[in-house]
Amino acid sequence: MTSKTKNRLAVLLLGCSCFGISTVSAQESPDWSGVWAMNGGTIFDLDTKTGEGGSTTPGVREHPPYNQDFEAKYQANLDLRDAGVFPDPNSYCGIPTGYPRLMNLPDVYEFAVTDKQVWILTENGPNVLRIYTDGREHPSAADRWPTHTGDSIGHWEGDTLVFDTLSLHSSESGNTIIDRTGLILSDAAHIVTRMAINDEGLMEAQMTIEDAKALASPWVVTKRYRRLEEGSRVYDYACNENNRNPIDPNTGWTYTIGPDGQIMDINPGQ
Amino acid sequence: MKSMRDIKISEAFKQFFLLVIAGSFFVGYSAYSHHSNAMFDQQQVVEFSGTIKEFQFTNPHTWVQVMVEDDTGTTVEWSLEWGSPNNLGRQGIRPSTFPPGADVMIKTYPMKDGSPGGLFIGARFADGQTIGRWE
Repeated sequence: MTSKTKNRLAVLLLGCSCFGISTVSAQESPDWSGVWAMNGGTIFDLDTKTGEGGSTTPGVREHPPYNQDFEAKYQANLDLRDAGVFPDPNSYCGIPTGYPRLMNLPDVYEFAVTDKQVWILTENGPNVLRIYTDGREHPSAADRWPTHTGDSIGHWEGDTLVFDTLSLHSSESGNTIIDRTGLILSDAAHIVTRMAINDEGLMEAQMTIEDAKALASPWVVTKRYRRLEEGSRVYDYACNENNRNPIDPNTGWTYTIGPDGQIMDINPGQ
Repeated sequence: MKSMRDIKISEAFKQFFLLVIAGSFFVGYSAYSHHSNAMFDQQQVVEFSGTIKEFQFTNPHTWVQVMVEDDTGTTVEWSLEWGSPNNLGRQGIRPSTFPPGADVMIKTYPMKDGSPGGLFIGARFADGQTIGRWE
């Protein structure tokens, strides 16, 4: 018996035992249990990556279908990254990662499926993306405001979760980015995500990103996650617990705190 | 406490206590950090011996604190930054992995400005046990 079948049977039996009837329909929910880790490093869009190395390696970049304005903004961020002074909000410890970057994190994930919501839980951050699957709509424009994770509503198409996210912060304000190369979006970003376990057993999240202010055409990015061995655990991630790398607010340089509690290195930009 | 003079391959790096080994095969290795790693020189690997003072098994990064004696006889505390305790914990690393007082050889990507710190690569204990990357 597959784990999915067991889940459905368990729900059916639970329904029978609670209500004393035999006609309760089984909840169709895929088995997304366990602990998952992203494949491929923290380059957000591996399909358009050029250059050798990771997101902090000078020369590495991606090629979203940016309009001219946002291509210039991205290039400016790349230049800062090449100089080692790109101001990543995550480095300050305390700001939520936001969507879609929370699909692009190291450490591990849990994908919790409940009757009326799906939660994407990231160890790094930590972050929670709540996806409402109870049939509700997005709040009206007057009743919502930009947040790090925005507002997500979704539904199931078989074993595929489809969800729609909007009302996100503008990355231009500097409080969220997508990866360390400096990818950004505007507050007009609208993302439709399709998530399912593929034939190889990998969780696959395909994000179709539209952004009338930043993109000349839809940007489709797929991230994949592997299930870790059974019994794997998720731990606290308390970024300020012992953060020995403060950022110079003026230059973006990352310092190192020595054993005496004082900054021990030299900012080459000063 | 072991001395920096124990090291096999030496090259002046910061006049008085750093030794550098050619590290071309390590180039490109780096752990994910929540911050830029621009302060580390990942084009060279420094190897030295010392004594564990403390293993800070904390978020967002673990730190291996090592007491190192330089050629003048002065003891310097090195701070070696490593991955998160969460990821390392899932890979079998524990707070007890580096017991205080243990003698170790260390490999690290040093800080560019010569400060006594670096990005941890690997360690080898006196009994030959290795931690991290030791090639």
